[in-house]
Parts: sequence; structure tokens; C-alpha cells
Amino acid sequence: MTTMELNTKQVLVTTDDSQLRQIVAANADGILVVDGDGVVRFLNPAAASILGRRVEALVGQDFGYPVLRTERAEIDLHHPDGTHQIAEMRVVDTEWESGPAQLVSLRDITEHRRAQQALRDAEAFNWAILNALTVHLAVLDATGTIVAINDAWRAFARENGDHELRHTGIGVNYFTVCQHATGEHTNEASPVLKGMRDVLVGKLPLFELEYPCHSPTEERWFVLRVVPLRGERPGLLIAHTNVTEQRRMARAVAEAEVLRERLRALERELQNFDRISAGELAQSRRIAAVPMRQRAPLAFSQGVERYRALLEEALQYRAKQTPLPVASLRELGERLGTYEAAPRDVLDLHLAAVRAAGAEAPPARQHAYLEEGRLLVLELMGHLAAHYRSKAVGRTGDPDDTTSGQI
Amino acid sequence: MSTAVVKIVLHLYVAGRTPRAERAIATLRHICERELANFECDLVIVDVLADPQLAEARKILATPTLIKEQPAPSRRIIGDLGADPAELLAALNLPPVSPEAQLSTLP
Repeated sequence: MTTMELNTKQVLVTTDDSQLRQIVAANADGILVVDGDGVVRFLNPAAASILGRRVEALVGQDFGYPVLRTERAEIDLHHPDGTHQIAEMRVVDTEWESGPAQLVSLRDITEHRRAQQALRDAEAFNWAILNALTVHLAVLDATGTIVAINDAWRAFARENGDHELRHTGIGVNYFTVCQHATGEHTNEASPVLKGMRDVLVGKLPLFELEYPCHSPTEERWFVLRVVPLRGERPGLLIAHTNVTEQRRMARAVAEAEVLRERLRALERELQNFDRISAGELAQSRRIAAVPMRQRAPLAFSQGVERYRALLEEALQYRAKQTPLPVASLRELGERLGTYEAAPRDVLDLHLAAVRAAGAEAPPARQHAYLEEGRLLVLELMGHLAAHYRSKAVGRTGDPDDTTSGQI
Repeated sequence: MSTAVVKIVLHLYVAGRTPRAERAIATLRHICERELANFECDLVIVDVLADPQLAEARKILATPTLIKEQPAPSRRIIGDLGADPAELLAALNLPPVSPEAQLSTLP
């Protein structure tokens, strides 16, 4: 090799080295070379910046010999001012000044990790809300596969025999479940499947269906509601809401309305008798204007006690599945009639007795008093009406019967 | 028998009890109990968030950092401490070679 050739090669090496150093210096990632003892032999300005120290303070410093599970690891970097950052560290074997060394690159991932944590927090927050709901919720992807469920969904599945969530858990295709539905849900499966698909393709804004889902021990009703997922990924949100209580209340309201209507009919009947007994009309009106509770308090409280005792008796008879003997309730009706009781007095008496009976009773017993009381008050009202009817007939007499009115 | 009196002192610097720190602690405990079972092994965990002065005095640049304080020479390791105990022990120059063993290797 000539002298000229040697000089040319040295110039090339120097140029390459200089260019390489420029590239390394300009690199946004921190780059360090540590020797076999873990001592920093070289670093670029980005590495000094990530480590929060000056280049001169770090050269010759014991950084540590890197030992990693894989080719990369996350480490926390601690600055002299107490702040710290998260970095991804990558390590490859290299040589430095003819000795073995490690080339360490450090990438600041603090913001990335913070953003990830914020996302995780937001997701945890959302799921905390969804898990607090009693509605059973599942998220399906566009193929019908369940991708997420809330705690209520999970608990309901387990309570109903799907302990391992094999049929209703994440990963199961809900469309397939509907396609192969058997037993009591066969009738709903087909419209549900169509409804879900229509919502998915945008034919329907939402789909709702009320269906029975009785357990061996209780009658249950649910409403299925399907809405599309609003976002970039198409999918569905499935919600099953237990509406048994609402249905029960709606039925109770309907029953109460029937009861009220029957009471109104009885009241009208009583008023008719009142009008018929024209002779005592003025006095009756006066009496009826004052509630029995005020004008005959002792008789009223005796009536409440008697009614309460009859209510207890009625419950015992019901347990034996035999009807309450009519005579005792008729007797109370007639007794109230002698005090010129009006329908509202009967209702007053009924409410006072039910309230007193249920005051310290457990909820199930209170419910039984209400149920039985509904029938009893109607019957009592009937007896009172019958009493007035017989009285009125006795007073006015049948026009064709000359003997009537002389009882 | 002479190996039993050699004391190994390891200081592990972590930042809080994160899963990363817990994994490093578990790795070291495992090594102390198995690979270094014949030695008196003293493992000290230092939380740099709880004791920043100590971390700065020892010039801890990053965590997890493991320092073998004893036996000399001191040795510093950085990273998640790897998955292979043999690799970590080799990097720490552990287990220490007893004087008898050193003599026996002489020609």
C-alpha cells in the first residue's frame, strides 16, 4: 500500500467517523456507549437531556451494566431536581476502543405512558359506571361476537346456570346463540336476531322487545333494548332490563283502578238509596257530612278493631284455602249501617285497620294485609249497601206490595 | 465450608412498588434463595421516591438499578435484571470464588 493510499483511507475513516458522530449527535433518541464495567464512555446530547444531566458530568459515570429480559426494557430515569421520566431502553453489543461494550439507546416514553394511563383510567371509570348499573349490558362487534359485558350481565349468567360464561361470555357469538335458541325463548329468538341485524345496518334506530324469562321460583319479565354503537367501529349495545317490578306495579295500579271503580259504583248505589229515603234526607245529609270517626269515635275504633280481627281471620282462612264465613263481615256491615256510615267511612276504617295491622309486620305480611284487605273492603261495602238497600226497601216499600214497610 | 462466611450485600434501587419493581425484587429474592443459598445474602430494597437524597448520593440515574456492594469490587446493573439467573450472576461476578477454590485452580 502506497503512502498516498494510506492517507486516502485515513481521510475516509475520519470523514465516516465525523459523519457518524454528527448523525448520532442529531438523533432524537438518547444514545450511550457503556463499557464492560457499566461506565459511560460516550453519549449524545439527547441522552444527557433524557438523563437530566450535562454530557461532561456523565462521561466516566457508572451507569450500570444493562441486563434485560428481552432486547428492550422500561426504566425510570431520575433527575437531580427530583423529577423523573419513563424511558424505553434498548441494548445491543458493540465495540468501543477495541473493547467489548454495550450500545444503549433511550427513548422518552413518559407522555406515551401518561396517555396510556389516562386512557386506562377513563376506561376504568366508564366500566365502574357500567358495572354499577343493574341493567345487564353486553357490547357486540359487527359479527355479533360479545366483546365486553358488565358485572350485572356476568352475575345473571352465573345465577342462571352459565357458570363459566360459555354461552353468554366474551368471545361468544350472540347471533349464533339466538339462531340456536331452544325452549321458552324460541319465539323471541327470530325477531331479536332480525332486530339486532336491522339496528346494525341502520334500518332501525333501536330495537326493543319485552319477553318473559321465568325462573323456577319466580315470574320475571325483561325488556331487551338494542342500540348501535356510536363510533368508528360498528357494533351493538345489548341491554336486558328486569321489568318484573314495573309490570307488578302496573298490574297493581290496574287492580286499584278496578277497585276504585267498584267502590264508586257502590257509592252511587248508596247515594241512590239515600235519595229514595226522602223522608230522612235532610237529617242523613247532615249526618253524612260529618265523618263517622268524628261523630261516633268509640263505634269507629271498635269497628277498626273488629275489621282488623276479621282481616287476621281472613288470612288464616286463606292459608287453609277456605273462604271466611260471611256472617261476621255482614254483622260488621250492618253495625256500621246503624251508625249511618258512608262509603268513605268504610274506606277510613279499612285504611286504619290495615295500617294498624301492618305497622310492625314484615313486608311480606304487610303485602298480605293489603291483598286480603282489598277483597274484604269490597265485601264490607257490599254488606253496607245491602243493609241500606233492605232499609230503604223497608221504608219506601214496593209499590206493588202493600205489606212492605211494616217490618 | 469456608463459602458460608462470605457475605453478599445487594442494594436494589426501585421507584415505588410498581409491577416492574416487584418483578425485579422477586427475581433477586429467588436468586438469593436458590443460586446463592450457600452464602449469607443481604438484600436491601431502596425506594428512590421515598429516599431521593440517598439515590442522588449514590448517583442513581435510573431504576431498577442493582448494586453489588459486597464482596468487592462493587458492580452496578441496570434494567429489569433479565430472565436468566445465570446471566445476572455472571454480570455481578457472583457467586464469589472462595480462596480455596482460587488456590485449587492454580497450576
